[in-house]
Amino acid sequence: MNKVKIFTAGIDLGSTMTKVLILDGEGKSRAQVTGATGAEHRRLANKVMAQALGQAGLSLEEIGYIVATGYGRVNVPFADCQVTELTCHARGVSHLFPSARTAIDIGGQDAKGLKIRDGKLVDFVMNDRCAAGTGRFLEVTAETLGLRLEELGELSLKAASKVEIGSTCTIFAQAEMVALLSQGRPLAEILAGLHQAIASRVVKMVTGLKIEADVVFTGGVAQNAAVVQAIKEKLGHDVLVPDEPLFTGALGAALLAREIALKCLANGKTIPDKERRLEEARLYEDY
Amino acid sequence: MAQDRGMDRAKAIYQDRSQRAGELKAQGKQVIGYLCAYPVLEMMTALDLVPFRILGDMTEPISRADACLPTVVCPFIRSALDLALKDRYQFLDGVVMAHSCDVAEKTAHIWHSYLRPPYFHFIDTPHTTGDSAVKQHKRLLKDFQKTLEQLAGRQLSQERLKEAVKAHNQQRALVRELYGLRKPDPPLISGVESLEVMVSLMSLPVDEGSRLLKQVITEVRQRNSGPPKKPARLLIWGSIIDNSSLIQMIEGLSANLVMDDTCVGSRFYWPDVAATEDPLDGLAHRYLVALKCPRTFRQADPNKASKDYQADLEYRFGYLMEYAKEWRVNGVILQSLRYCDIHGYEVPQVKDYLNSLGLPAIYLEYDYSQAALAPLRTRVQAFLEIIGQGNF
Amino acid sequence: MVNWWQGDPILKAMDVATVYPEDYGAVCAAFGAAQAYLEGAEADGFPAHMCGYARNCLGYTARMIELGEIPPEAPMGGMPQPSLLLASGALCDARYKWFQALGRYLDAPLWVLELPHPGVKEGLMEGAGEGNIYFIAQQLREFISFLEKLLGRRMDWGRLDETVDSTMEMNRWWHRANELRRARPCPMHSRDFWSSMPASLYMANDPGETAGLYRQMYDEIKSRVDNKIGALKAPERYRLAFLELPPWHSLDFFNQLAERGWNFVIESWAYHPPRPLDLDRVSDPLERLARYSYHWLTGYYPKANQAEEWWGYFAYPYLEYVRDYQCDGVVLHPLLSCRTATNHLMMVRDRLMKKLKVPSLVIEGDIVDLKLFDPARALSQAEAFEETMDHYKKLRKEAGLGW
Repeated sequence: MNKVKIFTAGIDLGSTMTKVLILDGEGKSRAQVTGATGAEHRRLANKVMAQALGQAGLSLEEIGYIVATGYGRVNVPFADCQVTELTCHARGVSHLFPSARTAIDIGGQDAKGLKIRDGKLVDFVMNDRCAAGTGRFLEVTAETLGLRLEELGELSLKAASKVEIGSTCTIFAQAEMVALLSQGRPLAEILAGLHQAIASRVVKMVTGLKIEADVVFTGGVAQNAAVVQAIKEKLGHDVLVPDEPLFTGALGAALLAREIALKCLANGKTIPDKERRLEEARLYEDY
Repeated sequence: MAQDRGMDRAKAIYQDRSQRAGELKAQGKQVIGYLCAYPVLEMMTALDLVPFRILGDMTEPISRADACLPTVVCPFIRSALDLALKDRYQFLDGVVMAHSCDVAEKTAHIWHSYLRPPYFHFIDTPHTTGDSAVKQHKRLLKDFQKTLEQLAGRQLSQERLKEAVKAHNQQRALVRELYGLRKPDPPLISGVESLEVMVSLMSLPVDEGSRLLKQVITEVRQRNSGPPKKPARLLIWGSIIDNSSLIQMIEGLSANLVMDDTCVGSRFYWPDVAATEDPLDGLAHRYLVALKCPRTFRQADPNKASKDYQADLEYRFGYLMEYAKEWRVNGVILQSLRYCDIHGYEVPQVKDYLNSLGLPAIYLEYDYSQAALAPLRTRVQAFLEIIGQGNF
Repeated sequence: MVNWWQGDPILKAMDVATVYPEDYGAVCAAFGAAQAYLEGAEADGFPAHMCGYARNCLGYTARMIELGEIPPEAPMGGMPQPSLLLASGALCDARYKWFQALGRYLDAPLWVLELPHPGVKEGLMEGAGEGNIYFIAQQLREFISFLEKLLGRRMDWGRLDETVDSTMEMNRWWHRANELRRARPCPMHSRDFWSSMPASLYMANDPGETAGLYRQMYDEIKSRVDNKIGALKAPERYRLAFLELPPWHSLDFFNQLAERGWNFVIESWAYHPPRPLDLDRVSDPLERLARYSYHWLTGYYPKANQAEEWWGYFAYPYLEYVRDYQCDGVVLHPLLSCRTATNHLMMVRDRLMKKLKVPSLVIEGDIVDLKLFDPARALSQAEAFEETMDHYKKLRKEAGLGW
C-alpha cells in the first residue's frame, strides 16, 4: 500500500451555525471556519465551505472525502456522504477526550445527550421539538436585555444569589424575565437563574442515559461559562469542555471522512466519490 | 406495468378508500364502519354487511374534533372523529366500536352522541383472558348479533357464520403468505407497499380483498423490481400506523422494514379463528385471547404467589422473538403515538425483553403529523449507525 | 388502587392492609416530592405524557428498590413494598397497565379486577345487566380463591357479609349527606367533599367506623340546612359544580371565589358513592358487591336512555347533578396527564349548554405537575364568568327551566 496523504473535511450544518473543519494528511486540523447558517437555512453552507478551502489553500477537488452532518446534512451537493450529528459528535468527543462516556451537546435549537463506549456512540437522547433551553433561548435573552450573547455568562457568574426561573420556554421565560426586572431584581441574579434553568433541563433529559463520568459538554452553548458551571453543580462533578466546543461535530465528521477514505484505500478500493458541486445546500424539507 | 395491476389497485384504494364502498352501496350493500381491531368482522360478513375499517388521515389538520375531544388524547382517534365530523364517513350505514382502549371506549360514546349514525353498537370487550372473561365476551357477541340481525333484517345462521369464519381465515392465511415474501433478503415487497395492501384489504369485502391479495402475491413473486438489498432489516412495533409516510421515511434510509407488529398489519391478521361447534366460541376466544394488543392484560401465571419478570416478558412478548428469527431482523423500532397509554406503559418492558435477546431497539414517539417525521429521521439514522447498519 | 368497592371489602375481610398509590401521588405532589419521581420514571423510559400518579409511583418504586428501603425523602413515611398488587379496570384501563409495569421492580403477584363499561343502549339490552353482574361476581370468586392460596387462610364468609354491609352503610350515609347539599344556601362546599371522600374511596379504615363518621357529618349538615346556614361566610350568589379532580395544591383558590359568593355545591361524579340500592334480598355477599359496583357505574343508564344521552356514566350524571343542585355554572378542570378525567369534559360542557343552558368555565391543570394550574389567571376570569352566568340564568327562566 502506498502512503497516500489524504485531506478530508467535515461540514456540520447546524440550525444556527455552519461549521467546516478540514484535516490534513496527518489528521491534523488545517482549517476551521464557522458562518451563520442564518434564517436563510443552509443557503450559505457553500460559502462557509469555500472560505474554509481558502483558509486551507486547497481546492474542493483536493479534498479526498467529505462528510456532512447536522440538521441540514441531507442535501449538501458537495458532500460524499451524510452521517448524523449524533454519531459525529460522539466521534469528535472521543477524539478530544478518550475517557469520555457521556456527552451533552447544546446547539442553536436542540440539545442532545450521548452515551459513549470505547469511542463509539451506543445510545442517545435528543430534544429537537422546541428551542427551550438552547442557544436560541440565550439569543432571545440577550436581545431582550440589550446585551451581547458573549456577555451573558460572565455577568451571571457575578451574581450573589440566583432567582428561580420556572420555565425554559423561550416565550414564557422572556415574560418572566421582564417581570422580574420590573420588580427590581438584579440582572446578574436573573441571568444566573436562567442559566440554572437551562442546566436543569438538559441534565434531566440526559439522566435517561444514566450519566457516567467523564462528561463532556459541547456545542455553542458550552462557550457560556455560567451554563458550564451550572451543569457541574447539577451533576455534582466536573465537566470537560473542549477548547472549541462548536467544532466537535465538524471534527467528528472530518475524522469519519478520514476513516472511510483510509479504509477504502487499505482495502485497495478507490475512494467512492460523487460529483461535487459547491452549491447551496437544499432545505431538509425539500425532500 | 401491466403485471402490477393488483398492486396498483391496492395503492389506488389506499389513496381513495371510500370509492369502492360507494360502489358497493350503489349495489344495495350496507357498509359498517368499525374502529380498531376488536369488532368481530365475521359476524358482519355473515350477514352480508361490509365491514369497513375507520382510519384517520394524517394529512388533514384536526379542527372539528377539538370541540368534543380534548387535545391530550390519541391523535389517531381524534383524526378519525374529525373526519367523521367533516362528513368523510357519511357513507357508513352503521358504526361498531369496542372497548379496545380507554380513549376508543370514550370516543365511542362521543361518536354515538355527535354523529348519531343510523346503526351503532358498542362491544365492551373485556380486558383479561381467563375463562370467565371469554364467556363474558361471548355473551357480548350474542348481544352484538341481536342488533346486527335487526339491522340486516334477518337471522344469523351458524352455517353462514362458519362460512364467514372460513373466508376471513383464508384472508388471514393469504396475509401471512404475503408477509412471508418479506423474509428473503432483500424482501420481495417493501413495508410501504405492504401497508398499502393492508389498508386496501380493510376497505373491501372479505372475498374481494382475498382475490386482490392473491393477485398481489402472484405479482410480487414474479416481479423483479422489488426493494433493493439494505444492511438493516427492521421490525416495527407499536401503535397504529395507517399512513405510509413514517415507513417511507425509514425505508428511505439504509433499512428495509421486513416485519411489523401493528394493527394495520400482522397484529390484525395473525391469529386464525378456531373452528368450534358454536362459532361464537372460536370468535370470542380469537378476538379476546389470541389477538395481541397491549390493551389486553395478560400475564404468564396469574395464580402464582410471586412474579418472575423475565418469564412474564417471555409470555407476553415471546412472539416478537419468533418474528425476529424468521424475518432475520437486526433492529427493532418501537413507536407510539403520543398520548397512547397502553403502548407507553409497555415500552420499557418490551425494551427489557429485546435487550435480553440482544436485539437493539429504539423508541420513537410521534404525534400523527407529517411535520414530526423529519426529526425522527435523524433518530432512526443514528440508530442505524449505532447498530452498525448505517450507510457509511 | 381505587377499585370502587369491588375488591376492598374482600381485602378487609381477609385482614389485608391496603395502600393506595394514587392517593400517595397526590401526597407527593403536595409535598413537592413528585418531580424527582416523575423524572426517575422518565429516565427509565416511561413517556412523560402518561398519568402523573402512575409515573410518580413507578419512579418512587424504582428508587425504593434501588435503595433497598423506603426512600428517606419520601413524604409521610413513604409507601411500603407490597406483597400483592390489586389493579382495577374501572374507569381507566391504564391503571392495570401501570401495575403491570411495576413488575419491572417488584416481584409481588398482580391481580386485575374488571368492571364492565357497557354503552347505554347495550347495557339496557335484555339480560345484559345480569350478565355483567354475573361476570363481576365470577371474577370476585376467582380473586378470593387466589387470595386464599396466597394468604394460606380461608375466607370468613360471615365476616365478608358484614364488611359488605358496612361498606354500603358507609356510602349510604355519605350519599345522604351529599343529598342535603341541594339546599339553598348549600351547607357543604366541594372542598369538604374532597377532604371527606378518601374515607369512602380509599377504604383504609374500618367501613363501620367510617359509616359513623359520615353519619355525624350528615347530622351536622342537616342542622345547618335546618338553620339555613350556608358553607360560605359571604351570601351564596352562585351555585357551581366542579369537574373532576381539584387542584389539590391550590385549594386556596376556592376561598377567593367564596369571597365572591361562589359556592361549589356538587362535583366529581367518579368520587361520589352510588345512589342507594336495595340489596336486602341478595344473600350472596359477592353478588351484592357485584351489583353494587355495577350500579355505581350504570345506575344512571335508564334515565340517560330516556334523554337519548349515550355516555351514561361520567357525562350524563352531570345533567342530573346540575339540574338537581340548581347550578348556575360549571368549572371544568382538564388535566394534562389524566385523560380519563378529561375525555368527557368538552361533551359535558356542550350537553349542559344545549339541554340546561348552563355555561362552563375551563381552567387547565394537572394532578401532579402543579405549575400547569394558574389560579391568578383563573380568578381573573371570574368576573366575566359571573356575567355569563347571569345571562344564562335569564335564558333559563325564559325557557321555564326553573332556576
